[in-house]
Amino acid sequence: MLDGEYGWACQVCMQILVKLGELYGATRLIPISSAHISGVSYKTVGDAAIEFLMEIAEKGAKAKAFSTLNPSSIDPCLIDRFPRKLVEKQAEILQLYKRIGAVPSLSCTPYYEYVPAKNSNLAWAESSAVVYANSVLGAWTNREGAPSALASAIIGKTPNYGIHKPENREPNIIIDVLFQPRNEVEYGALGYYIGEVIRDKIPIVKGIKDASLDELKQFGAALASSGMTSMFHHGKKSKSNERLEAVTVEEREIKTVIEKLSSSKLEPDMIFIGCPHCSLQEIRRLASFIEGKKLKSGIEFWVCVSRYVKNKEKKLVRIIESSGAKVLTDTCAVVTWTDKLGVEKIATNSVKAAHYLPTMNKAEVLLIPMEKCVEIAYE
Amino acid sequence: MKVLKGRVIVSDGTLRGEALVSKRPISFLGGVDPNTGVIIEKNHDLNGKCIKDKILCFPHGHGSTVGSYVMYALAKNNLAPKAILNERADPVIVVGAVLAKIPMIDQLKIDEIKTGDMLEIYCKEGLIKILGE
Repeated sequence: MLDGEYGWACQVCMQILVKLGELYGATRLIPISSAHISGVSYKTVGDAAIEFLMEIAEKGAKAKAFSTLNPSSIDPCLIDRFPRKLVEKQAEILQLYKRIGAVPSLSCTPYYEYVPAKNSNLAWAESSAVVYANSVLGAWTNREGAPSALASAIIGKTPNYGIHKPENREPNIIIDVLFQPRNEVEYGALGYYIGEVIRDKIPIVKGIKDASLDELKQFGAALASSGMTSMFHHGKKSKSNERLEAVTVEEREIKTVIEKLSSSKLEPDMIFIGCPHCSLQEIRRLASFIEGKKLKSGIEFWVCVSRYVKNKEKKLVRIIESSGAKVLTDTCAVVTWTDKLGVEKIATNSVKAAHYLPTMNKAEVLLIPMEKCVEIAYE
Repeated sequence: MKVLKGRVIVSDGTLRGEALVSKRPISFLGGVDPNTGVIIEKNHDLNGKCIKDKILCFPHGHGSTVGSYVMYALAKNNLAPKAILNERADPVIVVGAVLAKIPMIDQLKIDEIKTGDMLEIYCKEGLIKILGE
C-alpha cells in the first residue's frame, strides 16, 4: 500500500498513518470500529481541502471503516442568506465525502446517535468528541487530525500508539478543584484553565464528581481548546496515585479565564447555544426555560444540534422555534459565516466557542450560562 | 556559532532561512489566516506577523485538528513557512507538515533561537546551525 500498488489515494493515506506511527512508537496498525472526520466546513477548510478531497475521491478512495462527518458551514435554512458560491462550495465538499462513503452526520457529537462500544478503538478527529469518547464513554481514540481521521477511515485502521495503549491512559497529574463549579460556563472555564496548565498530560480531576454529562462535555471541549490533552479522569471510581504532581485550582482562576474570554458589557445580536452540539437533555432544559416566552426583536437565537437530536425531540424543537429561536442542524455558529450575516456580538454558554469566535467570526463574546442567555434574549 | 540537534520528522535536504520564534503554542485553525499567512490569534506574541518563507519556531501546536488542512492550504497558496521547528511535535502539526511537505524537526530547545536569526538546517541529520542576525 505504501508503495502505491493500491493507487495514489491509499498510498498517501498510508503515508500519513505510517509517519504518525513511526513518530509515536506504534508497532502495528489496528482495526477501528469507526472514524469521525473533521474538515467538512468550507469556511474552515477552504479550497485547498477541496482539491485534496477531489484528488482522493477521483483516485477511487472508499472508506473501509464506518465514518461520520463533523459539521459543515450551512444549515438548509441558511442557504438563502449566503452568496451562492459559498453554498455551492459547501455542497461540493459534502458530495466528495459522500463519494468517499462517509455518513453525513454533520455533527461534532456523533456519539449521541452512534455510541461507540466501551474499549473499542476509534480514529476520531474533533477534539471535543475525542475527549468525550475517551473520558466519558470509555472508548479509545487519539486526537486525530482531519487528514489522519480521513486516512484511517479509508484504510480502516490506526497506528497503535498513544491512548490506544493502556499504560498511556493512566493519569499523570492531579488537579484538586477547591470550589464547586455552579454551571456549564464555570465547568468550561475550569477545563480551559486546566488545559493551559497541563498541556498534554492526562489529569485526574478531583472535586467534579457531581458534574452532569453535559457539564463534562463543556469541561472537556474547553480542555481540548486550550491544551493538547485527549483524556481526563474524574469521579469516584478514578484511582489516584498520591505520588503524582498535584495542582490546585481556586475560584479566582476560573473568574480570570471568564474575564479574559468575555466582554461583560455587551448587548449581543446573537445568542449561540450548542457548542458542542446540544444533547437531548440540553434541548429539554432549554425548552423549559423558553416555553411561553417571546424572543426580542433584532436578536438571533441559534440552537445547534445534530439531525438525530432534532428528530428525536420534535415537540421541544417546535416549542423553541415557535418562540422565535432557530434550531439548526449540520452546522454551528463557529463554522458558519456569522460575520457575513452582520453579527458582531455573540452571547454563548460555551467556553470553546468563546475561544474561537473572536478570530473565526470576528465577533465579541459574552460568556454566560444558558439560563442567562434566555433571560437577556427574551421579553 | 550554536548548533542544535533534534529529531527529523519531515526531511527535505538543506535549507537556510530567517527564524520567526514564538514562546507560545500555535493553533493553525483560527490562529493563522490561510489566505495571507498572517498570525491572527488575539494576544499571541506573533500576532500580525507573516509566516511565509520563515523558519517557524514554536513549542508545539494546540487547538482544532482542522489545523492540518490550514497548513496544506498555506502551502497551496505559497504562504507556508520554509520549515517548522518544535519543542515537541503533535499530530496536528505533523500531519500538516506531511501533507504540505514542510520540513519539520522537533525535540529542540526553541528558546536558544531568536526571531531574526539566520538558520541553516540540515534536515537529514536534524542539525540546525544558528548563524545569528
